[in-house]
Amino acid sequence: MPVPPFSQRRRLVGLSAALMPVLLSATKVRAAELLPSALRIAAVSRTGPSGKTLFAGSSALVQEQGWLAAELGKLGVKLQWVPVTTNSVAVQVNEAFANKSIDFAQYGDLPSIIANASGLRTQLVVPGGSMNNTYLVVPADSNARSIKDLKGKKIALHRGRPWEFPFSRLLAANGMTHKDVRILNLNPQAGASAVASGSADAFFTLSDAFLLEDKRVGKIIWSSKAAPQDWKMRAELWGDSAFLQKHPRLAQLVATAYVKAHQSVVGENGRENYIRHEVAAGQSRSLVEREWEGDNTDWNTRWAPLFTPELRAHYAAGAAYARQARLIGRPLDTSKLYAPQFVEQALAQLKLQNLWASR
Amino acid sequence: MNPGVLSAGARGLGLAEHARKVAQPGRPESPAPAQATRPRPARSLVERWLDWRWSAWTSPLLVLALWVAATEQALAPEQILVPPWQVLVSGWELAESGELGEHVWISLSRLLSGFGFGSVLGVAFGLAVGLSSRLDAYTAPTFQVLRQIPSVALIPLFILVFGIGETFKVVIVAKASFFIVALAVHDAVKNLPVRYLEVAAMLRFSRLQVIRRVVLPAIVPATLTGVRIALGRSWMVLVGAELLAAEDGLGQMMEMARQMFRLDVVMVGVMLTGVIGLVLDRSFRLLEGYLMRWQRR
Repeated sequence: MPVPPFSQRRRLVGLSAALMPVLLSATKVRAAELLPSALRIAAVSRTGPSGKTLFAGSSALVQEQGWLAAELGKLGVKLQWVPVTTNSVAVQVNEAFANKSIDFAQYGDLPSIIANASGLRTQLVVPGGSMNNTYLVVPADSNARSIKDLKGKKIALHRGRPWEFPFSRLLAANGMTHKDVRILNLNPQAGASAVASGSADAFFTLSDAFLLEDKRVGKIIWSSKAAPQDWKMRAELWGDSAFLQKHPRLAQLVATAYVKAHQSVVGENGRENYIRHEVAAGQSRSLVEREWEGDNTDWNTRWAPLFTPELRAHYAAGAAYARQARLIGRPLDTSKLYAPQFVEQALAQLKLQNLWASR
Repeated sequence: MNPGVLSAGARGLGLAEHARKVAQPGRPESPAPAQATRPRPARSLVERWLDWRWSAWTSPLLVLALWVAATEQALAPEQILVPPWQVLVSGWELAESGELGEHVWISLSRLLSGFGFGSVLGVAFGLAVGLSSRLDAYTAPTFQVLRQIPSVALIPLFILVFGIGETFKVVIVAKASFFIVALAVHDAVKNLPVRYLEVAAMLRFSRLQVIRRVVLPAIVPATLTGVRIALGRSWMVLVGAELLAAEDGLGQMMEMARQMFRLDVVMVGVMLTGVIGLVLDRSFRLLEGYLMRWQRR
């Protein structure tokens, strides 16, 4: 009887070979039960000239690199980009965080402070990237030369947006308060038409200020380019705290993907590539270049994904301002807003500890 | 609709008693088979409920109960679906700081000035085109086209023309009320029974006399209804306009609160907008009843 044991073994091997895919798929199903079916990131989007929805800033690069989608795909998780419009990013993102329809969002400092003060729990995952300058625009025929000339005048400003804090600093630096001007709470589009039609005496906004100059309906009398570093508004990657705790592995992938994007931007041709993306998303090239021209922050520092003392000071001051301006009902402890472990891990993984180490 | 709600308003007109007298005799005989098999006390309970003077509160209290249940069950995150008591507390805080009163006062003064302009012009225009077929023929196409444009859709255009100051808000409210009132007056004049005018002609009334003694008294009921509808519409348009562009006012309070992620304050604004609309409507009904008291004699 030389055959039976062999055949028995063979049968066993055959059986297990046949069962293998079933077993594998079973473990896959178990993993999928623990992981969400999709990971959702909200980012500012514009409709490009081609009619396609295109994302702005580093999210466009993450999307282009495709690494995050591929890595998540291996785990059976789908990457979903949630577009938000420039006109009301703050409201849309906070409401989406509240009803759990997004897990991450790339958006501004003040809205994040407002969200956390109202009881939502979000944390900063990857800092840096979009340090936009802010601009004060007056109608083309205005005689105003500085904010001081606008005492008692009407200034259009979308309240609760990240550029409100730089605006309050500009007022304070000139010995003024919000009470010295009349603020019109208008979204950027309405603000632009208000200053163009002369029904507002000034408009405080982002680089869309250049569009008003190009149309010769407005002129920029102040920009944050030469101002101290922390006058710039910050817009960075925030995550839902509950999600970060529940799925650290997925959060790590997201953080790593964004750090990779920052790395590519400061690398060779990175700046050019970044401009190409912004242009594809409908921004004019000259606008992007003018936004950076004469800026006192160097390119590398702008993209540093680091939790620096300056960053923490920025948020602490922002929260103090929000409280004092009664934008938030109770004081907010900003020390709990940071989740630096993901970036640290990403920098170690990608061996980038020295890329931004100058600081 | 809860019949109790209607009767509460009708009571102000002194019509409730009349309505009940008309309705009552029919009810016991109502031959619905389902009702016939039902025990008598059950139905009289419903009837007694409807007769009770606070029964108008049935539907508001039901809505409130639903709201409480929804918040208790946490159907939506608390930042978005704020519990009613929290809304009350926020409303109280806003009222105490004087902020709420300021917003409401500004909104109401905008409403009254815009609505005043709009309805006076509306009555005048409606009367003119109602009386003169020639003027009607000249203006009808333009009037009919402009009337179809929703006031809210005109907000951006009005901002460009009038700026974002008070003018724009008063004009948009005036626009909203003008067309409704003008149309109501125009139709009322057109629908005047011919025999009225025949009698006036027989009495050899002058044109002015026809207007003063026949047309004006006859169109009062329809005009008042038009004006009341216009008042409600103006209020909605004003709050909408304030949401988009204003420094203050109830609508702006809500918009600002949304930007600050304070949905409790938004709810305070929503409730107050509804209550103010209701109070305006009710007071106008009272006025209507007072002005129309001759009809019931």
